[in-house]
Amino acid sequence: MTLTNYDPRVLKAPHPVPGAPDNWKRFFSFNTDAKVIGIQYIGLSLLFLLLGGLLAMVMRGELITPPADLVDPSVYNGLYTMHGTVMLFLFLFPVLNGFNNLLIPTMIGAPDMAFPKLNAAAFWLVPVFAVVLLSSFFVPGGPASSGWWSYPPMSIQNPLGHFINGEFLWILAVAISGVSSIMGAVNFVTTIIRMRAPGMGYFRMPVFVWTAWAAQTLQLIGLPALTGGAIMLLFDLSFGTSFFKPEGGGDPVLYQHFFWFYSHPAVYVMVLPVFGIFSELITVYSRKPLFGYKFVALASFIITFLGLIVWVHHMFYTGTPQWMRNLFMITTMLIAVPTGVKVFAWLGTLWGGKIRLTTPMLFVLGGLVNFIFGGITGVMLGTVPIDIHVGNTYFVVAHFHYIIFNTIGFGVFAGIYHWFPKFTGRMYYEGLGKVHFTLTFIGATLNWLPLHWAGLYGMPRRVASYDPEFALWNVIASIGAFMLGVASIPFILNIVSSWARGAKAPANPWRAIGLEWLLPSPPPAENFEDDIPTVISEPYGYGLGKPLVEDEDFYIRRSMEA
Amino acid sequence: MTSTNAELPLKHVPGHIQHDGHNLTGFIIFLCSESIIFLAFFIGYALLKITSPEWLPDGVEGLETRMPLINTVILVSSSFVAYFAERYLHKENLLGFRAMWLLTMAMGSYFVYGQYVEWSELKFGLGSGVFGGTFYLLTGFHGLHVITGILLMGLMLARSFRPNNYAKGDMGVTAVSLFWHFVDVIWIILYVLIYVWQRTS
Amino acid sequence: MNQKRFPVKLFLTILIATAIDLLASIQISRWAYGWLPIPASSAAPYVDDLFSLEVGIGAFIFIGCVGFIIWSVLFSRAEKYDESDGLPIEGNTKLEIIWTVIPFFVVMALAFYSIHVNETLATLGPKQKYDVAINQAPEAVATLDVTREVGPIEVISRQWSWEFIYPSGVRSSELHLPVNLRANFLLSSKDVIHSFYIPAFRLKQDIIPGSVISYSLTPTKEGRFRLRDAMFSGAYFSQNQTDVIVESEENYDAWLTRTAKRPMVKGLSPGTTLYEKRLKEGDRGWATVAPAPPPMVNDPGNPEAPHDS
Repeated sequence: MTLTNYDPRVLKAPHPVPGAPDNWKRFFSFNTDAKVIGIQYIGLSLLFLLLGGLLAMVMRGELITPPADLVDPSVYNGLYTMHGTVMLFLFLFPVLNGFNNLLIPTMIGAPDMAFPKLNAAAFWLVPVFAVVLLSSFFVPGGPASSGWWSYPPMSIQNPLGHFINGEFLWILAVAISGVSSIMGAVNFVTTIIRMRAPGMGYFRMPVFVWTAWAAQTLQLIGLPALTGGAIMLLFDLSFGTSFFKPEGGGDPVLYQHFFWFYSHPAVYVMVLPVFGIFSELITVYSRKPLFGYKFVALASFIITFLGLIVWVHHMFYTGTPQWMRNLFMITTMLIAVPTGVKVFAWLGTLWGGKIRLTTPMLFVLGGLVNFIFGGITGVMLGTVPIDIHVGNTYFVVAHFHYIIFNTIGFGVFAGIYHWFPKFTGRMYYEGLGKVHFTLTFIGATLNWLPLHWAGLYGMPRRVASYDPEFALWNVIASIGAFMLGVASIPFILNIVSSWARGAKAPANPWRAIGLEWLLPSPPPAENFEDDIPTVISEPYGYGLGKPLVEDEDFYIRRSMEA
Repeated sequence: MTSTNAELPLKHVPGHIQHDGHNLTGFIIFLCSESIIFLAFFIGYALLKITSPEWLPDGVEGLETRMPLINTVILVSSSFVAYFAERYLHKENLLGFRAMWLLTMAMGSYFVYGQYVEWSELKFGLGSGVFGGTFYLLTGFHGLHVITGILLMGLMLARSFRPNNYAKGDMGVTAVSLFWHFVDVIWIILYVLIYVWQRTS
Repeated sequence: MNQKRFPVKLFLTILIATAIDLLASIQISRWAYGWLPIPASSAAPYVDDLFSLEVGIGAFIFIGCVGFIIWSVLFSRAEKYDESDGLPIEGNTKLEIIWTVIPFFVVMALAFYSIHVNETLATLGPKQKYDVAINQAPEAVATLDVTREVGPIEVISRQWSWEFIYPSGVRSSELHLPVNLRANFLLSSKDVIHSFYIPAFRLKQDIIPGSVISYSLTPTKEGRFRLRDAMFSGAYFSQNQTDVIVESEENYDAWLTRTAKRPMVKGLSPGTTLYEKRLKEGDRGWATVAPAPPPMVNDPGNPEAPHDS
């Protein structure tokens, strides 16, 4: 029998159902429902986006004038290190795991993840390593201050000589984060392989599921290498070994190989799900099938494969031999091809569509424009002679922020708005969303576009002070950054007030095609429970007149009865 | 896309998705990931060994191979014993299973003991340059996995006394067995890298 | 009904748009030369040409794609109450193959051209890294560049200063070089990873402790150019900068001669003053190693002098 969200059995259930009134406490408990865990991840990560952003505000405050006059340079170094670490490990990876939790089971018709308890455990490790990482602000000597890369010998200098120091806590936090991520990755991959709805072969999965699978595969292969390098770094720091100390026969560049073998694929772990979000949203808001669905799906795994063999492009001038640089330049160039396939597919999807510029679509289109720009500067950085000049300058900072914030961040916002009605049961305020978009797009462009020129003219990165000729670019960038800070206000207002008192969301407010839209808003505890639909078409069948599942009307009616 | 006649006969059969039974898949995926950390250590070890200007610390001329070889033979044989234990379990011979399983644990424990004896007799420490650091890191990390394997086997042994333990299949034993074989393969590679390939300069 | 009518209007629009895109991209690629510092080494023109080419290609792609997006947003919008779907096009295999194959050839062409530039740069400035055991002298290990015309000049990087030691024994905080002569350096670090970066030369080389790197380059313009440490190296890393003075051979020789006669003084080390100030103010701030003592040099340089690039 169909279970609605307001059925007395559900209201009295020991594991509260999302959307049931007075159940906010479930978000603070060890709840094994993937939809609750998803919201836990996203909520927590947005808090850390604020923290990372706050750190950035101080950094841009320091950089608005050439001298280091706001904070002591040693403090600046700790701030920028923690800014990067918080943004990556406490915002980006958790928010994407949040999307995985919300979307993977519902998009494939599964009742939950393959290992619900493991799922909850993986989430609860996040506050644990957050505490470990943030406590480093309060130990003698302050937090880790060698950049989020933590290159030795700099990172193992330990000036004050204490056993428990900022760097130690940093390594510990990153290691715990790795454990949490691997737990998640095992879960996501097993779920996708084993728990799809009847009739959903691999080439009937939504692109988000493809990209999530491709991304989590990278996590499984890359994270252990980072963990290995981190363990060796920890031993060098605290137990007297010499893996990376030249005086003991070690090699600092070896660490760089360990680090980047994971951290380059890490950027694909972050961008692939956002490519998935772009694919999902462009089809809905153009009301057109995805142009070349199979190519787009397969390109995800080509990116996975190529992403594992490009890492030395972060080490072009650190003392690697010529043959290695040439080889990795070729592989780096190659990765532009499957990425281009996706971009052109999105453009093809826009062609002849009935485009609707809702807030999610604005973020997608803005993100796409930014991505094309960031991808082009990426190809420039992959060219060894150019990278020798602009590597480790603000050109790199501008490039990666164009990808991390102006593309991935935009994609995250787009996804939050698009699926907000589905998983909270409330509509968000569209006008406020458009204000958020406008401020964010202008702020992000002002913040990072000028910094490309600062880098080209020779301003190194990670500096607290700089020569006066770079002042103009930095003033514009800081204004953009402060604007981004202000832009968070309409976003927070929108999320909080919409969830508290927004209009009740129908099951399918966007008239989208997908299994998650055949569920009520919000979905019941086990999604389709005992009556999982049989999939009979490929996704995104807009205008093709074919139902997605057998007896589609039955499921539509069921979703509206909640 | 609006609602149609509620009395229309449904064409679909309500589909089901298995809630559980995915443990072995998840565990195999986990093992593949775990093997990468060892691969990373192996590659790092090999690179440091080849490129380091000075490899052996003062006063050390190499590693003794006789006792480690005995340990290796015992550990690798224990994998075969574990295999026989699994065979007994498939044939539902609980006594045979427990005996072979216990023997595997004993052989694993001997390996750990042998490793401890070797460590205590070595003339270099963790801080003895790259040589010392890599030696203790690799053998220590592996040893940790052996101990974990023995503990997991103990857990499986204890569970075998629960009535109806294998009603839903013996995936736990299969997984731990797989883990044990994995630990053995890692050791074989380690033995070759550390003891067979010795750099004398 | 003529069903096979060639879409003339569409074809012409695309043709004109592409032409405008191409012209704009060519112009932007010319502007790109102005986005770089003064080119002052033999390597710089090659790097700048490659950069200009990539800017041109990038501009073409960016303008084309973004133009298409803007066009779609303007002309493919749904009317306010129009809930119908768009054209039911699922793809076009021929087009998908084209936009996989053409980018493949473009990036491969770029890669091979870049390898060619790489080889040119290697010929113009040979470099080689040698691992140095703990008590070895760098000179014993490094095989010097036989094509050099100046040097080897020992470059010692520290937290947070630069020291240049000339073959004649002259020590300086600023790097003087004669124009148009190939100079060879022995780069080494006494503590952490630093980076030898001169934007005007378009050259950067990380300096790895435990190794010495034989590195060569040829300056081609006279002037005073910034040398910056480009690998984060700690608290006063931002101040780890000095100048490269490229002058005529006569002036260079004259500088060498008169500097040899100067007494040794403490060299340029801004971190030292800043750290002393920090200690006087109560050592507030987060942990940092103390700066290395300033190197003793004949010529401490003129940090206040304005630089060209």
